[in-house]
Amino acid sequence: MSAAAMSLRNGWRGLAFIAIPVTAIAIFLFYPAALSIIGTLVRPKDGGGYTFSLQSYVFFFTDSYSLTNLGRTLWTTVVTLILLIAVNLPIALYMRFTKGPLASVIQALALFPMFVPGIIICYALIRYMGPNGWLQSLLNLVGFHHYASPHLTPWGPVIGLIWDGMPLTLLILISGLSNISDASIEAARDVGAGRLRILVSIITPEITHSLLIVSALNFLGIFGQALMPFMLGPTNPEMMGPFMLRTFSSVRDPLQASTQATITFLICSLAGIAYVRSISRRPKEDRT
Amino acid sequence: MLRRDFLKYSAAGAGLLLAGPRVAFAAPGVLDIFFNSDTNVIDFWTQVVKPGFEAAHSGVTLNLVPGGGGSGINTLADRAYAAFQAKKDPQVDILEAAYPFYPAGSLEAGLWVDFSKSGLANYDKVNPVVVQSPALLPYRGSQVVLMYNSDKVKDVPTTFADLAKWIKANPGQFTYSRPDLGDSGACFIERALQEVTGQKPELFLPDNYTEGYAKPMFEKLWPLLKDIQPSLFNGGEYTSGNTASIQLLASGAVTMTVAWSDMALQAMSQGVVPDTTAVAQLQDLAFTGGFSGIIVPSVAGNKDTALKLADYLVSPEVQNHVVTDLGGFPGIKWEFLSKELQDKFAKVAPKSIPVFPGNWEPALFEAWYRNVASDIKR
Repeated sequence: MSAAAMSLRNGWRGLAFIAIPVTAIAIFLFYPAALSIIGTLVRPKDGGGYTFSLQSYVFFFTDSYSLTNLGRTLWTTVVTLILLIAVNLPIALYMRFTKGPLASVIQALALFPMFVPGIIICYALIRYMGPNGWLQSLLNLVGFHHYASPHLTPWGPVIGLIWDGMPLTLLILISGLSNISDASIEAARDVGAGRLRILVSIITPEITHSLLIVSALNFLGIFGQALMPFMLGPTNPEMMGPFMLRTFSSVRDPLQASTQATITFLICSLAGIAYVRSISRRPKEDRT
Repeated sequence: MLRRDFLKYSAAGAGLLLAGPRVAFAAPGVLDIFFNSDTNVIDFWTQVVKPGFEAAHSGVTLNLVPGGGGSGINTLADRAYAAFQAKKDPQVDILEAAYPFYPAGSLEAGLWVDFSKSGLANYDKVNPVVVQSPALLPYRGSQVVLMYNSDKVKDVPTTFADLAKWIKANPGQFTYSRPDLGDSGACFIERALQEVTGQKPELFLPDNYTEGYAKPMFEKLWPLLKDIQPSLFNGGEYTSGNTASIQLLASGAVTMTVAWSDMALQAMSQGVVPDTTAVAQLQDLAFTGGFSGIIVPSVAGNKDTALKLADYLVSPEVQNHVVTDLGGFPGIKWEFLSKELQDKFAKVAPKSIPVFPGNWEPALFEAWYRNVASDIKR
């Protein structure tokens, strides 16, 4: 058998392997999503037939209420993302360069949120940081009486989402940092580089990919979140997740809800593209 | 267990998992009942309705399934309607705390069973005041009440006007839930709407909502709600549900809120709120209440058994338990309840419970978000 035929046969076998998941995705994800997106553009006409209309999008982008909600969602996403990286990068660096029982304890603590369901976190956070909660009582004990609870303010969901996003962020950053060889750092140290210089010139370029992946994945996770903003956030402005849910089930306006979903999808797909580009470029660079 | 046995059983288990749902649905004696209500109601069915009914009808099993909230129940109603149009078994026998008004047009098309024409032996006992549609069988009711800390509130408001005055005189001490997330908040807004339109609940009927009719009335409502907004908890913040309101009261963050009577009584008996917690009702026009009922698709595979269960549900036997075990109001007239209960509740048994029609709510809630909530100043 020639090498070409062999690789062709392997190719078919490979395709057969991915056929089931791809078909499942196509049937259960792409098809209903496409139906819903097309449904926002092609509307049934009075007296039969269909007509193309951008009316629901025009409504969304001229409606200050909807735009405020979109703005709040972007704000929450960006602020949460920045804080997530600011909190997790130092922990990841610490764990990359420290061995021992304390590092293990910190790792276990940081990964702990992964094993707690979101709804439990929400109720626990309300009890903890809510008005007259534990945190306020503790602060009162040490004589601090000006605590303003973040519960039901825009910072409520930010705190909840940081809790929720920590394990994933940390795992990706640690795996990115573990790719940096000790040898390169020691080499830099040998030629007299200080700690800051090592961080800026050796470590940062090596983990740009990880940072991109972390940002893209968290963006996707946070932007469409419904639970945290709805449990911990203010009544208004709403984030897109609760806004879509409410438009669908309470206002009973499936058209506007799918329009909101399509807009959310388009914004999230930007993060998706960044993620896919980032992981598909990786192997090529590794080969060089 | 031997390894071979283990393999055999797990293969059988996997087979059951695959075939399971279909077998369960096709089984003639299994009634699939989906709940919109909270777990306290499902507990009530598990402990009272299910054993009682299964004992009286051998071979019948009630499959009680939490329906996943409003949108989940709507999806099931959509499924029932699709099956109805295709003349198939929707695999839904009963929807609890749902309305026959969704999906639009389903009631007129005949999707839901008309209980008044189904020969239920106990149907005559049902209180006509609480019947919104013959396709909806009301079996439990509750009413929204003021829930407050009697340590701090000595003179509890007895009229809505007094309540509004109290809220403004005690900034930050009152809140209500977002109307779409907690019905107690919805009832507060609806009572306010009745207040600004001259305390006439008869203005709001299940079949008279039109945008033109409702809008002038809504316009009168916003000034009142915006006026009290800065005096609410945290300068105008609304809770994310009935339980969340009670939580704020329990932590002492607010002094008064609105709550469902059954949830308030339960919280008080479980001690999750301070001992000094009390409930009160407005005396000029009571807060709207609500009756939860069941609906049965006319194409349900187990329709006959479902109707037997419906009949059992409005029997005095179960209705007595609705009052004693659930803290709710009966769906049947009080004269059919036990003598003991009639005497005990003579003073609080409401002659009528104002009911606000569900089909007004989508427009009212959406307008509330746009006109009131969007006005919060920070």
